[in-house]
Amino acid sequence: MKGLGVGYRRPDGRLGPAVIDAAFSLAEGESLGLVGESGSGKSTLARALLGYCRPGGVITSGEILLEGEDIRKLDGAGIRRLRGGRVAFVPQNPLSSLTPHLRVGSQVAEAVRIHRRCGAEEARQATLELFAAVNLPDPAALYDRFPHELSGGQRQRVVISAALAGEPRLVVLDEPTTALDKTTEIQVLELVRSLRDRFKATLVYVSHDLNVVAEMCDRVLVMLQGRVVEQGATARVYRAPAHDYTRRLIAAVPRIDRAAQAVAPAAGGEPILAVADLAYRYATRRRWPWSRGADDGRPALAGVSFAVAAGETLGLVGESGSGKSTAAAIIAGLIAPAGGSLRFAGKPLPPLASAREPATRRRIQIIFQDPLSSLNPRHRIEAILARPLALFHGLAGAAARKRAGELLGQLQLDPAFLDCYPRQLSGGQQQRVAIARAFAADPDLIICDEITSALDVSVQAQVLELLKSLQRRSGAACLFISHDLGVIAQVAARVVVLRDGTVRETGATAEVFRRPADPYTRTLVDAATRGYASLPDLPGTSAAANGTEP
Amino acid sequence: MRIDPFALRKPAALLGLALVAIHLVLALFSPWIAPFDPTELVGGRVDPPGGEFLLGTDALGRDYLSRLLHGGRMALFVTFTGVVAAVTAGSLAGIAAAWFGGTLDDVLMRLCDVKLALPGILFVSLFITGFGESFGVLVTLIGLVYFPGVIRIVRAQALTQVNLGYVKAAQLRGESAFSIIAREILPNTLDVVYVEFAIRMSHAVLLLSTMSYLGLGLSPPTPDWGLMVSEGVGQLAFAPWLVLFPAVFISTLVIGLNFGAEALAGALGLDASRGHVGGT
Repeated sequence: MKGLGVGYRRPDGRLGPAVIDAAFSLAEGESLGLVGESGSGKSTLARALLGYCRPGGVITSGEILLEGEDIRKLDGAGIRRLRGGRVAFVPQNPLSSLTPHLRVGSQVAEAVRIHRRCGAEEARQATLELFAAVNLPDPAALYDRFPHELSGGQRQRVVISAALAGEPRLVVLDEPTTALDKTTEIQVLELVRSLRDRFKATLVYVSHDLNVVAEMCDRVLVMLQGRVVEQGATARVYRAPAHDYTRRLIAAVPRIDRAAQAVAPAAGGEPILAVADLAYRYATRRRWPWSRGADDGRPALAGVSFAVAAGETLGLVGESGSGKSTAAAIIAGLIAPAGGSLRFAGKPLPPLASAREPATRRRIQIIFQDPLSSLNPRHRIEAILARPLALFHGLAGAAARKRAGELLGQLQLDPAFLDCYPRQLSGGQQQRVAIARAFAADPDLIICDEITSALDVSVQAQVLELLKSLQRRSGAACLFISHDLGVIAQVAARVVVLRDGTVRETGATAEVFRRPADPYTRTLVDAATRGYASLPDLPGTSAAANGTEP
Repeated sequence: MRIDPFALRKPAALLGLALVAIHLVLALFSPWIAPFDPTELVGGRVDPPGGEFLLGTDALGRDYLSRLLHGGRMALFVTFTGVVAAVTAGSLAGIAAAWFGGTLDDVLMRLCDVKLALPGILFVSLFITGFGESFGVLVTLIGLVYFPGVIRIVRAQALTQVNLGYVKAAQLRGESAFSIIAREILPNTLDVVYVEFAIRMSHAVLLLSTMSYLGLGLSPPTPDWGLMVSEGVGQLAFAPWLVLFPAVFISTLVIGLNFGAEALAGALGLDASRGHVGGT
């Protein structure tokens, strides 16, 4: 079979268009990356390739040609044969795409039986072969497991094996690694690539991560507000972006080989925060009211020590489960550590916020990951900002409103937002309000717990810049927690690498990322720098540094 | 509160709200609307509907229409007071259980379990037998019957919030427990509380009618639909309207309250059948 082509065009007029007049074609064996920020229509476009729309969506016009046949003209039975047969789909969240009460083997075997029309025993054999093909360890044992007994990476491999069950010609992957850790992501990407080479399948890869697309795809298609703004060979688009938006998107990608204009520590200053031997373990539920909580399981934190100098930004990096958010909660005073000591501005810091002096509570502020849930939906922005102003500075009425307006101004938000509810703001705006609330207290230490991981790259870049400028103005120190090494490199002068609740490496950010001493740090750095080869040094983005080869 | 006006324009919603409104007007203004005194013997025994007495008379010769119009007053007043008490106390206790957790939560939840494990009618009979049938006892009883369910639902709704950023932020600011409950958590449970109130009202009207029918609720000569059904059952064979009319009044009020609760839940983006939220 030669010249597999997907001709595609789809203007969508009614009900607010999601994808407008998109067109592309793909040859057999090619891989195409769909890139764009949230709401750009990339997932909608990818799903249309299966002749599917999310509820409420309609394919209003255009044609989708798969091997010369228009998918839109297929009847229900034709569509069912198409999906999973010639076109397969791998969704973002592997946990919600597997049925929780069925064993994973039988779920994949079902797909095999439908598409290959074979018996149960044959399907079982084929499933075991598929499991082996996606590098799942011990396929026979895994066959009888339930989805919750698998790790995230294993689940995604099971889903990929189910997608391969029908020997599809075209595989659509919708952000398949977004829910995974960086190191797991590498394994899954490696797998997808080897499968592409082995099964000669054509890939459509949807992602917001430009690095991943650079690594995986021959060609890339950039979407903005439902329109395709640019498409072409990956190397060409990345090296010489024609469209302004593409250029901005590439420039906004945080990279670890770009020197951070991080906020520098005050020279020779005493540390504002020093933690030593911090330990924490989750209490298991008491079996009886009078029994003690069992103390098994590995600790969330063990022997963690670091210090933040006044005015400095310290990065705390690690994967999920490394204990970095636990450390944030302890320092903020939400939970009490099981051991270790906390010192703030030279004095011992009581573990819980309720035991701290009001002045100390004012001086330590935290910003959370999810901007929407960190603002009370029933309060206007004015009330949200007025509360810390009243509590810590005794401001009320017109004075508080004036100060709240100034704070919004410093974060480049219109003071008119004071009368809005959080829901009326975008994610980036909400997070800026949360930052304003933290700075309303006039703190000496800000704890930022993954504050940009819910935001798009261009919004992330803006939020980070604003945070840094506010920090410079106020002289506050910052403990910046993130899983993204690129982001850490943008903001932090020094970095602490955390894994399984212990510190693996500490040092100047540039030094640690250039010459990681610890093998785990090296894995993280390798994971973060994949795909950089095709990312160009654009004028204006690398002014501060010559891209160092990692 | 975000109200979706489209959810209120559905036929069932309009019917429900109209039925509730009509019953409220009738109950409030019955002394002026009713043609006769509901307790006065004005006609013959069991006169059929039509003529001077529009809906006939009962076994003692009292005007049936006047009795029906007055019959909802006491019931609505008792159930309203009782349910308001149950929902108010239940909401505060539910949020407190969610916020403080620990022993308070354990004790409240186990008490709820005990109450919910008792058959309702057994609880009612024991209570009435012990304390009599005064207004205060009936209100307390209604309050006690619905209190545990409200605690559970409001507690569940509050539990979804205690770990959210805005509650943590308030905690770290050093806000008092009262301030966190009143300013941060309570406003976000109000949707659930309103719907809870509407659902419990319809249950309570039905419960009180059942109690009156069994002789455990309001006592004669107070005009009450449940009592009227009970008194009419004896003449069911030759005067079926004596049962039919009060039954229609009870049903229309309960149907109205049910549809109204569902409409309210829909307008607030909740699911009335679970009494629980989809979003915030």
